[in-house]
Amino acid sequence: MNAIPSLPRSARSRALAAGALAAAALFATACSSNSSSGSSAVPGSNAGKATVKSDTDTVAALIAAEQPATDIKPGSTAARIKAQGTLRVGGTQTAALFSLLDPTTGKVEGFDAAMSQLLAKYIIGKPSTDLVNVTAQTREALLKGHQVDTVFATYTITPERAKQVAFAGPYYQDGLAIEVRKGTTGISSLADLNGKTVVTESGSTVPTAVKAAAPKAKIQLFDTNTECVQALSQHRADAYVLDQGILAGNAVTNKDVQVLPGTYTKEPYGIGLPLDEPDFKDFVNTWLQKVEADGTWAKVWKATVGTEVPGPVPTPPAVG
Amino acid sequence: MGLIADHIGVFGSGLRVSAEISACTFVLAALLGAVLAVCRISPVLPLRVFSRLYVAVLRSIPLLVLLTLFVFGLPEIGIVYSLQWTAVTAMSLYWAAFFCEVLRAGVRAVPRGQIEAARALGLGFGQTLRLVVLPQAARSIIQPAASLLIAVTLNSSLAAAVGVTQELTGQTELLDQQYAQPLVTFGAAAVAYVAIALCVGRLAGFLDRKMAVTR
Amino acid sequence: MTPVLHNKAAGSGLPESSGTPGSADSAHSAAHASTGQPAVPATAPPRPGRLTALLEAVGGADDGLFDPPGPRGRRRIAVASAVSLLALAALAWAVVHQFDAHGQLHAAQWRIFGQWPVLHYLLTALWATVRVTLVSGAIALPLGALLALGRLARTPLLRWPATVYVEVLRAVPLLLLIYAFLFGLPTAGVHLPLFWQLVWPIVFTNAAVFAEIFRSGVRALPRGQTEAAYALGLNHWTAMRLVVLPQAVRQTAPALVSQLVRLLKDSTLGYVVSFLELLNAAKVLGEFDHTVVQAYLVVAVVYVLVNTALAGTAGWLERRLGGPSPTRGRPTV
Repeated sequence: MNAIPSLPRSARSRALAAGALAAAALFATACSSNSSSGSSAVPGSNAGKATVKSDTDTVAALIAAEQPATDIKPGSTAARIKAQGTLRVGGTQTAALFSLLDPTTGKVEGFDAAMSQLLAKYIIGKPSTDLVNVTAQTREALLKGHQVDTVFATYTITPERAKQVAFAGPYYQDGLAIEVRKGTTGISSLADLNGKTVVTESGSTVPTAVKAAAPKAKIQLFDTNTECVQALSQHRADAYVLDQGILAGNAVTNKDVQVLPGTYTKEPYGIGLPLDEPDFKDFVNTWLQKVEADGTWAKVWKATVGTEVPGPVPTPPAVG
Repeated sequence: MGLIADHIGVFGSGLRVSAEISACTFVLAALLGAVLAVCRISPVLPLRVFSRLYVAVLRSIPLLVLLTLFVFGLPEIGIVYSLQWTAVTAMSLYWAAFFCEVLRAGVRAVPRGQIEAARALGLGFGQTLRLVVLPQAARSIIQPAASLLIAVTLNSSLAAAVGVTQELTGQTELLDQQYAQPLVTFGAAAVAYVAIALCVGRLAGFLDRKMAVTR
Repeated sequence: MTPVLHNKAAGSGLPESSGTPGSADSAHSAAHASTGQPAVPATAPPRPGRLTALLEAVGGADDGLFDPPGPRGRRRIAVASAVSLLALAALAWAVVHQFDAHGQLHAAQWRIFGQWPVLHYLLTALWATVRVTLVSGAIALPLGALLALGRLARTPLLRWPATVYVEVLRAVPLLLLIYAFLFGLPTAGVHLPLFWQLVWPIVFTNAAVFAEIFRSGVRALPRGQTEAAYALGLNHWTAMRLVVLPQAVRQTAPALVSQLVRLLKDSTLGYVVSFLELLNAAKVLGEFDHTVVQAYLVVAVVYVLVNTALAGTAGWLERRLGGPSPTRGRPTV
């Protein structure tokens, strides 16, 4: 990187200092959680503002009820994690309903957080997780480098990603939907988004899907769901495309917006695992089948995503 | 690498928007910075206080915080205009503080004797500034101003964090999302930014040599 | 700010009304100025009141570009002061009014920041930011000074490694360095705690910048200083230690302080290693409470306060180290 010797000295020093900051910024801007996060947003209005919280007591009871695995083979990845005493989870702190830090308690709450704790309890015998922030740029590298054991980050399984990391599951399935301000006309499908400004979360799979259906759509990326809803209700964008569950949650608490019926894609979320630990993938898949069969999965959904998303508990997608 | 070649047009348009944002920001920041610098050295105390507080405050806030405040805050108080220009506004206000300091340092770098000599020759304040101080200050400003231009350009990538996705970093983000190759895509973008920095630095070095005087 | 106006007016023998709204404060200040009046000759510059002195301290003295103003000049300055004050006040009022008109000052919007757990969360984040800054600064400053000495050394054995280090580390973007620590070190079998995963990259880049600042400070010193030290029989290192470096540190104080502020802002990259610092806290709070603007405003204010404190401490240290430098005025931030 010492490729800048021809710059005059003072310019160089400042340029590079600035360069460091900026290149940092360059990456920084690109980073955020994954395809989803969600909750309500009524920015700027006091009416109907509700802070949505997962049902923590139910989740705690479910975790307490989870029985540790008895068939961990010596020398397996699960045995290594058990010996290490904590499950290192790649995740985020800003994905409402899935993995959102409650600053008042210091606990991370949501569907992903609960599932990772259940898995930790199953392997180790106590729900001990170590949450490591991952971003769209770091999660594959962190898995490859074995810095984290798993990634629970509303991580949509795509062929490109599957070349670099293994996915257990899917453990959750959603589809993209469209949210608009009430009274918006002329948008009823993805194809109608041509020429419109579409807001979505950075790191999500939305831009590809929207570009395929509406090549002339203008994509606007923000880091969090709240910022996206705010951009929509502040008329910065014409539509907000993201997973239906999250959008439905927004519509419950923000009276300005509504979700259009129908979903357009399938978004299977997988648990990211290192590619070179196939035994762990089987182990996690077996556990997923167990929690889905014994009803724990449905109860976790009800206590987290279900607190805000209307409708009955969905059927979990088939594992494998 | 084929990925980059296939999407060279995307990088091109991203680069154009980034250049647009940077240029507008730089010009606006320079103008505002000049006003602030004049306030800062004026004999009018409230203006001096204002300028100094402005610089102290704006330099203390991380640019991303300022950008977020402008993009989401202005609509909350009823001011909505294009996202790109909102970002330019915030960045201009931010960099103006740095510009003010650069200009002031330039003026201060002129030896006091020069000013005293000018006064002794009977030149007034305006004449002193125009004929003696500014020509000498201009030379010492070139290098820091170039550094500032580089900083403005590189930091324009922060606009992507507040929804100006058309610029280079935003476009790179979209590519990365599609192909899951952060090293390649962001590597290419980083190369583009470094190339810009090098070009600006060279230009400044050239200007500096052309205008150099020995004192 | 009104008292300033009154003081100026009183000092320059102008009638003491000028239509500014009277307040207890301004009355007090005006009285203060007028009791001082007899001691001040009619043509001398006005004796500054306490508030004026405070504002002078904040605003800084002008840079000697002007002749000291005569009576007419002072009057013009007083008028300009009044006009600019009014303009600034109008600006401030407009901002507050806009916020108020759109309900942004409504208590409900800010309620969350009055809750202890949230305050505690913010304070934790603030402490994290401060800790990173202090620890990084405390390591990077001496390291930078050593590197500068290395670059100024006469033996190539010291000069070259230092030069290479400084040139390379300034060229590497901080974020890349953080990534390198995050991905690279564990591969090499080194496991650092979160805090140090953020601190070391910051230290390594900033030490290089500090080194350059120190070096330019040394080079800016009149050569006579070093020559005089040699003439007194001091050797290179003693001359550096006793004569050159102390002066260089004073000379470069403003640059050092602004680099420290930059260092503090570097800590916002903490999210990469999932280190909870202020910016991260704002993001979480904004998402949690759906009050993006309020969360960022609060955090912005905290950044300003911390950086002002940082600059203030640096200024105080600088004065402790031997008073303001003789050639230049106070450091600026």
